[in-house]
Amino acid sequence: MATAASTAAPFPFPSTYNFPPFFTPQPNNTTRHSQLQKWSSLIQAWCRHHRTYRLSLVDAVDTPLFHNAVLRKRLDLGEARAIVDWMTKSEEQGGGGQRAEWIVGAAAGGNAAPNSVAWIWWRRPEEWADVLTDWIDATGQRGVVLTVFELVQGEATVSQEFHGMDVEVMMKTLNVLVKRGKAQVFGNDGGEGVKFF
Amino acid sequence: MSRRGVGLGAFANRTQATQSFATHGANLRSTHLASLQTQLSVFQSLLHTFALEHSSTIKSNPTFRAEFARMCNTIGVDPLAASNIKGKNGRRGLGEGGSFWTQILGGDMNDFYFEVAVRVVELCRDTRDENGGLIGVEECRKQVRKGKAIGSGLEVSEDDILRAVRSLEPLGSGISIVHVGAKNYIRSVPKELNTDQATVLEVMQMLGFVSVSMLRLNLNWEKARAQTVIDDLLADGLVWLDAQGPEKEYWSPQNLLDDSG
Repeated sequence: MATAASTAAPFPFPSTYNFPPFFTPQPNNTTRHSQLQKWSSLIQAWCRHHRTYRLSLVDAVDTPLFHNAVLRKRLDLGEARAIVDWMTKSEEQGGGGQRAEWIVGAAAGGNAAPNSVAWIWWRRPEEWADVLTDWIDATGQRGVVLTVFELVQGEATVSQEFHGMDVEVMMKTLNVLVKRGKAQVFGNDGGEGVKFF
Repeated sequence: MSRRGVGLGAFANRTQATQSFATHGANLRSTHLASLQTQLSVFQSLLHTFALEHSSTIKSNPTFRAEFARMCNTIGVDPLAASNIKGKNGRRGLGEGGSFWTQILGGDMNDFYFEVAVRVVELCRDTRDENGGLIGVEECRKQVRKGKAIGSGLEVSEDDILRAVRSLEPLGSGISIVHVGAKNYIRSVPKELNTDQATVLEVMQMLGFVSVSMLRLNLNWEKARAQTVIDDLLADGLVWLDAQGPEKEYWSPQNLLDDSG
């Protein structure tokens, strides 16, 4: 689901990407751990570069992310799943710090196979919430009512990182703010508005 | 015929002669010593002036620094040894208070190597997972030069890195230098490499990777031997496995460094 900005600069791959064993699950535990970390940061960087929030693994295995055409190495679906699965776990569970989250009953294309689409949190909703709060503060919009559409697509946010954000991610972010008592969301499907405190 | 003198007087003469020879010898020796001492102190002061004059170059230019350190070594002044006996009197009478380097450069040189050492240790720790605790000095140098934060890169030579690592030895930190083939490595996990392992690492220096059949063909090893060596290296995390080719290939992670963290 690379909603790629095709005109943008090409993604700068790290040197690990050109290291053939990177595409084979490593048998040594320590090495494996390092490999997972490198994959995790590569996936996050890739998604950030392409402003991708949800990553469909079935589609992604054929993109350059998981398929290095020059080396003719690829990451198969099972391995990609294993990596994203590792990313979903917290560090206490020996995972990658919850940098991904499986989307259950994925709406993408109707192929509802479990563990095939995931949110990639190059920023977690909590982190997005901070970004949003900073922006609200910086622009003096406390107490102002904004629609979610304005936040995501409005002209005022073009320069912001959350511009063009997946609406679901925005809702998750706003929910974090609601829990923190920093915002109130009202309205319903498609017409949500939000007020920041 | 009686020039030598016969009779009892000769004995007295002879003792006298020996005595005067001895005093003369002692005189000679002391003047010699004195002149040597002056030479040495002149040399020391020249070294001081030189180091002071060029202190900024010594600090900033790695080649120059290495040359200077080598010069000190040739004449028997070990800058590192001298800087390690901080506070106590210098071994070669150089330091009345503080070490050779501290005296000359105001502690900068000590600090410089310690700073390099800290970075080396950090790097070794950060990359231990990916390279099994073995890192090429050259790769290490590149990393230290780059530095993690902006403006924190240090211009260093291989020589500096080696010195820095050696300066850690008194701490018993378990970090040491290993020579394999044409390269120096920093070993941060205390473990010995056996000859076969070293050989395989050497092959990997040239080709980047090895496989069992390569080892069998080029080194005439039996299959079991080649496999054992590789398995050992794999278990230590010193090589990475690539199973997507026609034969399993084992790659050295030495070129991976630039994106860690």
